Amino acid sequence: MGGITAVGGYLPLLRLDRKVAARELAWSGLPMPRAGQRAVAGWDEDPLTMAVEAARPLCADSPPAALRFASTSAYFTDRAQSTIALHALALPQSVRTADLANSRRAATTGLLDLLLAGADEILAVAEKRPTQAGSSAQLAFGDGAAAVRCGENAAAILAGYSAISHDLVDRYASQQRPTGYAYEERFVRDVAVAELVVPAVREACQRAGIEPSALAQVACAEPVGATWRTAAKKLGCSAPNHCEMLTDRVGDLGAAHPLYGLGLALAAARPGDNVLVIGFGSGIDALVLKVLAPVPGAAEIAAALGEGEVIAHYARFLSLAGSLELDWGMRAEFEQKAQATVLERIGRDMIGFIGGRDSLGNVQFPKSAMPVNPALEAPEVFADVRLADLDAAIVSVTADRLNFTPDPPFDFGLVQFDNGARVLMELVDRPSGGFAVGQRVRMRLRIKSQNARLGFRTYFWKAAPLVRPHMGEA
Amino acid sequence: MASGIRDKVAIVGMGCTRFGERWDVGADGLMVEAFAEALADAGIERSRIGAVWVGNALDDINVGNSALPAAHALRLDKVPVTRVENMCATGTEALRGAAYAVASGAVDIALAIGVEKLKDTGYGGLPLRTKGVQNDLWMPYGSAPGTFAQLAGAYAARHGIDPGDLKRAMAHVSWKSHRNGALAPKAHMRGAVDMEKILGAPMIADPLGLFDCCGVSDGAAAAIVTTPEIAKALGKANPVTIKAIQLASSNGWEMQFGAWDGASVPNTRAAAARAYAEAGIRDPRAELDLTEVHDCFSITELVIMEDLGLSDEGRAPADIMDGRYDSDGAIPCQLDGGLKCFGHPVGASGLRMAYEVYNQLQGRAGERQRGKADLGLTHNLGGSPFNSVAAVAVFGRLD
Repeated sequence: MGGITAVGGYLPLLRLDRKVAARELAWSGLPMPRAGQRAVAGWDEDPLTMAVEAARPLCADSPPAALRFASTSAYFTDRAQSTIALHALALPQSVRTADLANSRRAATTGLLDLLLAGADEILAVAEKRPTQAGSSAQLAFGDGAAAVRCGENAAAILAGYSAISHDLVDRYASQQRPTGYAYEERFVRDVAVAELVVPAVREACQRAGIEPSALAQVACAEPVGATWRTAAKKLGCSAPNHCEMLTDRVGDLGAAHPLYGLGLALAAARPGDNVLVIGFGSGIDALVLKVLAPVPGAAEIAAALGEGEVIAHYARFLSLAGSLELDWGMRAEFEQKAQATVLERIGRDMIGFIGGRDSLGNVQFPKSAMPVNPALEAPEVFADVRLADLDAAIVSVTADRLNFTPDPPFDFGLVQFDNGARVLMELVDRPSGGFAVGQRVRMRLRIKSQNARLGFRTYFWKAAPLVRPHMGEA
Repeated sequence: MASGIRDKVAIVGMGCTRFGERWDVGADGLMVEAFAEALADAGIERSRIGAVWVGNALDDINVGNSALPAAHALRLDKVPVTRVENMCATGTEALRGAAYAVASGAVDIALAIGVEKLKDTGYGGLPLRTKGVQNDLWMPYGSAPGTFAQLAGAYAARHGIDPGDLKRAMAHVSWKSHRNGALAPKAHMRGAVDMEKILGAPMIADPLGLFDCCGVSDGAAAAIVTTPEIAKALGKANPVTIKAIQLASSNGWEMQFGAWDGASVPNTRAAAARAYAEAGIRDPRAELDLTEVHDCFSITELVIMEDLGLSDEGRAPADIMDGRYDSDGAIPCQLDGGLKCFGHPVGASGLRMAYEVYNQLQGRAGERQRGKADLGLTHNLGGSPFNSVAAVAVFGRLD
């Protein structure tokens, strides 16, 4: 029987202390969460880049049969993120791709489909949901991603499940209201507990042949706070809800929340444990999983919670969240227009970070008709070499304060790979002391350029420090 | 090796506008201003110009592409005009084209003119432009100071120099150029600046502060070149001649292949070696009386001193602090203030450098005159340290 073989997760570097925002907005008297932190995506991160980061560890050995992407905040509405991700992950084009959207429940719905089919597939889920300054959602939400791979030789298997479709309008987002609209929490909690959570958990446990009290770990993505705690009392379940802790530490990750929470639950679980994961939105999915062995990737997901840097200034957060539009001056007027012909010709090498190995063994990026290797004097065909998964070292670097970037300074420099490839690259996730010559870096998929007028983005890889700091000031 | 063009081409007239924020005039007016001075200096009529090379690096911003803007501005009637562009080395490239035309015998008298009207961009610094639809997919859009700032960290790493000591040597470069520029009537910036102000200036691209960077300017410069024989016939008994012009371009090696540590500009070294050979220079430190180099940033000038062989490897900071390249030093550099203070209208800068050397060689540099000068060098650099076009030219007298 198929099941979960591995999990992955990604959180952006930056965190906002909710109390910082609450302090800045105290004069308004607006209600908002004041404890904990939320994860904040960089200006050049979006659901696609974060989903790719979450899925990367799951692609190491062999390609899956299919790659699914889920989000309620994907940038493109008629260009499959899953297919772009496929190229970023350098998966074969024979891998089937599909996007799931329009519900925070998309991840658990997708996971349930994978588990019921028993197929070897990857599901990558990410959110960077737009929110309005002053809204409770802006502080309650977080940006991040989670991924899961299913297939044979599983570490956790589906023991029971329940799925209830129910158009409960606890909150919504629409084309006219992309930042979302939320209804009264007490109403949502009462209905969610009585009509959805309790019946779904009972049914899932019944199918699994266990009582709710036998659940060892829970990952319940709640529509509003205290939903699980209220339901758990009725169910007689005392297992910890890892999604609640996740909300406190990085925020509600939307569609990715139940999957990241599941990763945390699996990290805490022992073989033999029953783990419940709940996805909520336009109904509910409740899945009971039986843990057979430690789940690869779960420990890394848990460790990532403690890594990051705290944003010192609320205004910087507002700018990154798209709630504060600064006048960046004339240099920000520059526009790039990506051409489909060029993307078709070399785009897959770009987003896959594929360089070429020449006949003498040297690797270069990008490929060229004539090798850069001085020892070669004629055109030749290169062998593909993926650079995205390799470490490199900084040759030269600066923090550019003249060049426009939405989150200054603009760090860039020459990066040297051990296989010979040398690439001029942007650097991201800047350490507090800046970057230095000789420093080792790893590759991260990011937005390269965005053209707001044409509504288009291109993606490329940027170099980041090998390890992230444990919570310091950014 | 080819015999080169040493003493095959004479400069009989040069002109240079006042550089700066020329709100009063467009690119056409700037070209007319430089051309008129050059014609008067040469003592010839416009009709004797047989061919023109016009240098302009940022055509889409100001001047416009092709031969036509220059042909229109100077009302050149059916004269062959060629527009050249090689980033910040454009001015020297225009001179190279004109000089080669004369040396080949194709033309008796040729004009090289460089022009840029950068202050029509609406902001300071060089404008941002596409790097091409393929490169746009991966190449970072760093600013010019961002690319050259990387020389500093790499240089400090190669030579184990304390970043603070390097910063002080860089500041001396700017301090010296400001002091020189104060004596150049056509310079963009004519105010002396003290070291404390330079060292305390806001950061533009680590470790380059505001005063480590040249600004950008409006301006034009022109040279009329011909054969030594025609020059003599025009009354120039011992004319200024071109001893060498050499150019070297990156083929992607620095950016893509490795081995280079980022602490020098290899193309400057290649162009200089060829130029010294063409000019017959064996010991540049002893033979050169002055240099005008591409000091787009203070660190660039510092590194150039080693790339040109004027300082030993790793010794440029010490030589700079010792005053070797000051106006009263052994090999003065930027007697007119350089890019830093005379200004940097990109397409004109290479010819502006030649203009200063040309005047120094003839003892016409006024307050800036450095006694008797026999041999001067210009160095013009386009692009970035890791992807560059470097031009080195040497000028002297015929006899």
